[in-house]
Amino acid sequence: MEPPSRQPQTHFTIAVDSDHKATEFRLFSISSPHMRAFHLAWLSLFSCFFSTFSIPPLLPIIRQDLHLTDADIGSAGIASFAGSIFSRLTMGPVCDLLGPRIASASLSLLTAPVVLSTSLISTPQSFIFLRFLIGFSLANFVSSQFWMSSMFSGSVVGLANGVAAGWANVGSGLTQLVMPLVYSFIASLDVPSVTAWRVAFVLPATFQAVMAVMVLAFGQDLPDGKYKRSRITGSKDKDNFFEVLFHGLTNYRGWILGLTYGFCFGVELTTDNIISQYFYNRFNVNIQTAGAIAASFGVANCVSRPAGGMLSDKMGRRFGMRGRLWSLWMVQTVAGLLCVLLGRVNSLVGSVIVMCSFSLFVQAASGLTFGVVPFVSKRSLGVISGMTGSGGTVGAVVTQLLLFSGSNTFSTQTGISLMGLMMLICTLPLMFIYFPQWGGMFCHPSVQPDFCHGDYHMLP
Amino acid sequence: MKSHLLTAFLLLFCLVQTGNGGVLFSSLPQTLVVTASIKQGQVLIAGEDSIILTWGLNQSFVGRTDESYKEVKVKLCYAPISQVDRKWRKTANDLSKDKTCQFIMVSKPFQKLDQTFKWSIEKEAPTATYFVRAYAYDSAGKEVAYGQNSDAKKSSNLFEVQGISGRHLSLDVASVCFSAFALVSLIGFFLVENSKKKRSTDN
Repeated sequence: MEPPSRQPQTHFTIAVDSDHKATEFRLFSISSPHMRAFHLAWLSLFSCFFSTFSIPPLLPIIRQDLHLTDADIGSAGIASFAGSIFSRLTMGPVCDLLGPRIASASLSLLTAPVVLSTSLISTPQSFIFLRFLIGFSLANFVSSQFWMSSMFSGSVVGLANGVAAGWANVGSGLTQLVMPLVYSFIASLDVPSVTAWRVAFVLPATFQAVMAVMVLAFGQDLPDGKYKRSRITGSKDKDNFFEVLFHGLTNYRGWILGLTYGFCFGVELTTDNIISQYFYNRFNVNIQTAGAIAASFGVANCVSRPAGGMLSDKMGRRFGMRGRLWSLWMVQTVAGLLCVLLGRVNSLVGSVIVMCSFSLFVQAASGLTFGVVPFVSKRSLGVISGMTGSGGTVGAVVTQLLLFSGSNTFSTQTGISLMGLMMLICTLPLMFIYFPQWGGMFCHPSVQPDFCHGDYHMLP
Repeated sequence: MKSHLLTAFLLLFCLVQTGNGGVLFSSLPQTLVVTASIKQGQVLIAGEDSIILTWGLNQSFVGRTDESYKEVKVKLCYAPISQVDRKWRKTANDLSKDKTCQFIMVSKPFQKLDQTFKWSIEKEAPTATYFVRAYAYDSAGKEVAYGQNSDAKKSSNLFEVQGISGRHLSLDVASVCFSAFALVSLIGFFLVENSKKKRSTDN
């Protein structure tokens, strides 16, 4: 008897290649499974960023209610990233086993209750533990990039990844604007402030859960349907999982990119955590204004990260890998200089201007990093992406621990300048990246390339 | 392009300016006398208890300095123990940057005679240890004198306020229901998927 299995769709409303992966990126269409997957992926990652950074803008009220000290707040900030280091590393293999749709929706549905249980806490220890658990949801970054790589072919995967990550990161900025407004609205209904901030977390929790359900209901892992374990079409043999892992971990370029990503994306995460309180404490603005200023930092992601990806592609077309590496180094160095300047500016208006410029450059650097990552290894792409992605959160933990953990003798503005200095130093290792077939920043390729560098399918 | 970048950086550097300082606390004479109806170490409940404040000019200073005093603001101030490891409550000599006294209890025009006021502890007052300080302001709104119920080291006549907890039964119930919904929908999805798979493999 013929199994009534799902017939693979042979007709898509979008141009596809032989693997049925989309070769074009149609932003305002949801008719094809590819674009539907794109919108579901970036929206559900957006909800995770929204939840993780929903606490910092309300800290001036939370810290009074829970009797927190600077040390507690610093530890909680570190904890929020520490959880995501391990979850991002684990998410790669989990996507391999179960597919990105189930992996991301399960993670979102399991962490949404944690977001709402913010309303239950009353001690500093529970506050730190809560932020640790909520931080797990940031692993959805790996699943969204994995999903985009499954749905889009090499010619547009960079753009799809960049726009998805950039638009999702906007969540970390928008939440800094929205949460204080939600809190003031609830407080205006004659609810005491100590209860109003707890009620406000219904919004991010519900949003995250709704997005997870939509991913399950409307998304599919592959253009042809459900995820299958042997999905590596086009690869010569079924690679051993541990071989792939070993191949990725021993590639030194993955480690260097992890380090530099830690000092662009990691710095961005740390800044998301401290910037609202910084403006509130230093310039005596009210909580809504501090939130609005902090929001403009994160919201810039919607253009700056995709712009970084596009710049990388453009430099790659003109100058090859050398162009990609040089543009990454230059943009990240300028970001470091602006970060040093941010800590030195003493006026409110000046700080806002410098912060906006800093946000553009540091987020573009994140986009530029993932313009280099796909070229490091095709066989171990997932592992390299996971290493780089985790490196981002490690950088956030390190900067937050060393510079903003409350037990420091120096002020926040000095910490910000020192963070910029660390960025400048830790971007230098890019000079050591060398590809035999494409060269490095200062060296010519040693092997004569016999294929176009932009041809993604020819990567080793 | 390069010259534009240079001008932009120069413009940014010009924006770096030091802010104007406010009145220095160390320059203020302690000419006011402030008392509060509390016992050392007493714990008061926010939203329920109240304190009777009394403030006035120290009699030995009458007629000498008080012509410029136009208004008195009595403020609730954090004791040093509640400022430890909390930079947002830090004491600074420059009063425009000082964050010791963040709550105004009462604000009245200055009178030569002593004044009293019964202040009910607001519901929003956070859990901390406090003392009471009064500032006298001139017609331009600048501080010109002060007085406090504690000693110079801020170690005597301190009292604690116990803030209210924001937890509410309805919130707790909503959290539990929501968590249940999230877990049930995840498990339900897996069950539906498995039964679909079974049906397609059985046929």
